[in-house]
Amino acid sequence: MSLRAQAREVARIDLVVERRVGDTLRIVLPFAVVALMIFSLATPSAITDLGDIGIAVFWGVAVLYGMQIALRISASETARRREVMSLIGLDPAARFLGRSFASAMMLMMFMTVLLVFTVVLFDPDLPDAWLPTMLLVIVLAASGLAMLSTLAGEVAGGLRNKSALASLIVAPLVVPVVVGASQTLESMNQDNGILLWILLLITTDLVLLTAGIGLSRPLEEASR
Amino acid sequence: MKRVQILLLLAAVALAGGAVLAFSAPLDRLQGEYTRLLYVHVPTLWIAFLAFGLTAFGSIADLIRKKMRWDRRAAGSAEIGVLFSVVGVCTGMVWGQVVWGQAWAWSAARLATPGLLVFVYIGYLALRQAIDDPVRRARRAAILGTIAVVQTPLVYFSVNLWRTLHQTQSIRPDGSTMEPEMLVALLVNVAAFTIAYIALLVGRTFVSRLEEDAAPATELAGDQVSPPRLSEVEDV
Repeated sequence: MSLRAQAREVARIDLVVERRVGDTLRIVLPFAVVALMIFSLATPSAITDLGDIGIAVFWGVAVLYGMQIALRISASETARRREVMSLIGLDPAARFLGRSFASAMMLMMFMTVLLVFTVVLFDPDLPDAWLPTMLLVIVLAASGLAMLSTLAGEVAGGLRNKSALASLIVAPLVVPVVVGASQTLESMNQDNGILLWILLLITTDLVLLTAGIGLSRPLEEASR
Repeated sequence: MKRVQILLLLAAVALAGGAVLAFSAPLDRLQGEYTRLLYVHVPTLWIAFLAFGLTAFGSIADLIRKKMRWDRRAAGSAEIGVLFSVVGVCTGMVWGQVVWGQAWAWSAARLATPGLLVFVYIGYLALRQAIDDPVRRARRAAILGTIAVVQTPLVYFSVNLWRTLHQTQSIRPDGSTMEPEMLVALLVNVAAFTIAYIALLVGRTFVSRLEEDAAPATELAGDQVSPPRLSEVEDV
């Protein structure tokens, strides 16, 4: 079985499990929408135009709540299951790729729905032809966050304080993704070029992809 | 032990020399006495980058060579890096309060990104603390130490990416915009802080080795005993 086929199988299983559990749609997404509402209610009345902060709030909520999706319990493995996977010859790189792909798919869906709520609730200032750029940024940001969270989840896997520790690892490391994603629309609003920020997102994704594939075998050894 | 003492003595002499130059260098016309913060702020942040770079290098070396000495160096360097980052950010805040009129500006990414870099390595140290087994701790920390360096270029180039409050680099490959006396004082202080970093790293590595030697090599009595599960005692 090729690496691609193995990764596809891992992603398929993850997505099937998520469809049955439904954490993303039933729990995290409503929770994130509530967070958007809390932000708008907590904003001082002196700030009359919520549109000014709409996209910033969107990225803050998308990344912090997106981490909950990428670090979901259904994506973690018991030591026994991990051993079985090693015994059947599953390539650790395929596991990283498959898991990241599944998380990225969920994150893209989550961010897209959250964006709709942001536009409705905040009415943010958006430049012309923003939607294709925003969708591209969502794809790149979701991929970066998914890969980083998969790596952090593996590094902290099996530890008693896994969820808190993995979040502490991901949150500061995800800064290049947040900066690239948030500055793209900001640059469009100011009629500046967006290439620099898109390149930052692509570079971060490529570095994480390389690191994830390259470190997957040592990670498997460390997890035993 | 003798080597650590010699290095610490050398560091103390170098830092004293750096302080003398810092207090004898000319002052900036606008910043006055606060110019002298430059001779601590720049070297401490330089040491932070150096320390985090060595953590990444030690982590990669640990993954390849699987020798505990690389893990000790990486961990010690991360601890020193966090300490110097905090000092660097704090001196920057004091300087910012005086010169810009505000200690912290979110629009100045050069302030925010080193602040976040500190948290990356706090996470690294928290991970180390959460794992008891030294080998597992070394391997997992090495993986995180390798990934963590991803953010360093963004922090370093942030002054050029964001054109905000923080000025761009004063020392560049094509020359310096500083007065020669100030430049000499700055470079001497950078060298002195580097010696101090080496002394602290060697000392910390020495202490880590002592800690590992002092740790019990065998399992403690009772380690293999686990309490009975409820399902096992229900029928009794």
